Amino acid sequence: MSSTSPSRWAMISRETGRALTAVVIALAVALVVILLTSADPGAAFQTLLTAPLSSNRTMGLWIDDVAKLTLTGLAFSLVFQARQFSMGVQGQVYMGGLFAALIAMSPIGTTPLAIPVAMLAAMCAGAVYGFIPGYAKARFGASEIVSSLMLNYIAILVVNYLIRAHLAPAGTGQLMTAKFPETAVFPAILPGTRFDLGIVIALIATFVVWFLLYRTSWGLKLRLVGHNPKFAEYSGIRSSFIMVSAMTVAGAFGGLLGSVFVQGRAFGNLAQNFDGNLAFEGILIAIVARSRPLAVPFVALAYGYLRQGAQLMGIRTDVPTEMISVVQAIIILLVASSFSLPGKKFFTALLGKKSASVATPEAVK
Amino acid sequence: MIELLVTVFSATFFVTVVRTTTPLLFAALGGLISDLSGALNVALEGMMLIAALTAVIVSVYAPWYVAVLSGIGAGAMLGALMALFHLRFKADIILVGFAVNILATGGTVFALSQATGGDKGTSINLQSKAVPAVNLSFLEAIPVIGPTLKALLSGHSILSWLGVFMVFAVWYFLFRTPYGLWLRGVGEYPAAPEAAGIPVAKVRAWSLVASGALAGIGGAQLAMFNYIGFTRDMTAGRGFIALGAVLLGARHPVGAMLAALLFGVFEALAIVMPNLFNWIPGEMIQTIPFVVTVLALILFSYRAQRARQMRTLSKI
Repeated sequence: MSSTSPSRWAMISRETGRALTAVVIALAVALVVILLTSADPGAAFQTLLTAPLSSNRTMGLWIDDVAKLTLTGLAFSLVFQARQFSMGVQGQVYMGGLFAALIAMSPIGTTPLAIPVAMLAAMCAGAVYGFIPGYAKARFGASEIVSSLMLNYIAILVVNYLIRAHLAPAGTGQLMTAKFPETAVFPAILPGTRFDLGIVIALIATFVVWFLLYRTSWGLKLRLVGHNPKFAEYSGIRSSFIMVSAMTVAGAFGGLLGSVFVQGRAFGNLAQNFDGNLAFEGILIAIVARSRPLAVPFVALAYGYLRQGAQLMGIRTDVPTEMISVVQAIIILLVASSFSLPGKKFFTALLGKKSASVATPEAVK
Repeated sequence: MIELLVTVFSATFFVTVVRTTTPLLFAALGGLISDLSGALNVALEGMMLIAALTAVIVSVYAPWYVAVLSGIGAGAMLGALMALFHLRFKADIILVGFAVNILATGGTVFALSQATGGDKGTSINLQSKAVPAVNLSFLEAIPVIGPTLKALLSGHSILSWLGVFMVFAVWYFLFRTPYGLWLRGVGEYPAAPEAAGIPVAKVRAWSLVASGALAGIGGAQLAMFNYIGFTRDMTAGRGFIALGAVLLGARHPVGAMLAALLFGVFEALAIVMPNLFNWIPGEMIQTIPFVVTVLALILFSYRAQRARQMRTLSKI
């Protein structure tokens, strides 16, 4: 992919330009929606755009989101690069979170081993959960989209049940477990904020996924399968193995995200419906990042800012947080489409580029 | 166990099954049409959700049929949106579908809180209407089988009857009209109809619109008969289950109906079981439709794969 473009930087700036254009259009629509619904549109829009920077605490919230969004974006990028539409990250997050919580609440939880062992357990659980739809597709030809989505619902229900009936402190009626011992919770990098180990894990994971995809033969095969499964098959790549392994590895990252969720300072316990639909937002991250692992943290940084702004807008003003889904949908639609919008020339002129450089045929992915 | 059997073979259970099947059936028919035209519609879930909310809000101010029509319109518009981005702007249909789903999950909550004045959970303080049930109590006059017939056939939503008709209508359209042939041809091998001068993109676009409209009826049934009113995420995966039904249904309307019925039965079981087995945790019972979908999908895909290997067809 990168070798076909004249230079890496040209591609990066083009993609960034496209993403930024999409964000600007989406925000313009958001502004219209806010104008139509809010009693004080100015304050609402300002909160959306500036609130994450307003204090150390909100910056911590933002970075915490960035870490999580990076991980889910990586999990989706891996399967998207193999052209598999496994949507199972949410289920993997729940399974990973469950197993991380089980380790954290076991005797191991009070030892220094708690964090690595819990993370490992979460990754294994996520990998198994990612493996199932992959195997079902490779072996039986079952659509991975449907099976992975069904597994999401199953995982959420099972984890919610276990919390309600077994893991929550007996007799309290709480829908969450007790706080984990301090040894099982990620240490804060900046005390008093949510700026914790999660972001470090996310950055390491980014590097690992990049290495797997671009510096191993497995990654090469995976990308080949994604680009042209027939060619990959002719050149002797067992595409079903690649398919299953891609989903399994992505599952491990989904599971890791589960452990980052429950062991992060934001929770420190296992609660019902803890993911707050964040797992699915990895689709957006992966699409905007064009499934490039190294781009994922940057997209997560930008999108996490918007997401946190929306959360704070929901709390501080009369515009509900859910308004942001309009922005999400528009960004996905615009970035996923080839942008041959009628106003394309206008936009390119706006971005100060020659239309010729943009007219190069946009690769499908 | 006996109680379960007694319940399952009762007329009320049958009525419950029809009720739970109807939204799935419409969504599955919608999914079938777009699937046959070559576009897997993963947005059924979002279309149903948005149509459900639209129908509920409209039904506060208008008669029920206007509400149902507006639900259909909402679904059709989402289908048109998908067609626009998929066909004109060449976006991947699955990503477009998930964009619609994301829009639906958040957007319905946003719109709900606007319509109710801040309630983000349910539309309980909106006076929404219901789709009327068809009363066939005159059947009771038939000797011997009359009461059974009445118990089985009376009291279904009008939309359930429409659903049965739609299975026939979709079958007729697909297999007995030239447009249906176009649609199937476009899905099978687009180059051939293209060469024959059939507007491929137009066929796909209209099939997505029809797909959305059908999913919209499903959403209206869900929020105006199965439940009266809208609750957050009330589709709860039904759109995805319907997608599974499309895949299981051997790409045939009757097959889709049978698959929808299968999932409807298990959803109905999940409704009646808590009363019979209070020792089984509710969450576990709720997983039944999803578990059944995965298992059925694997089983049927395996069989389809075997059949395909026998016929050595190249590609589905």
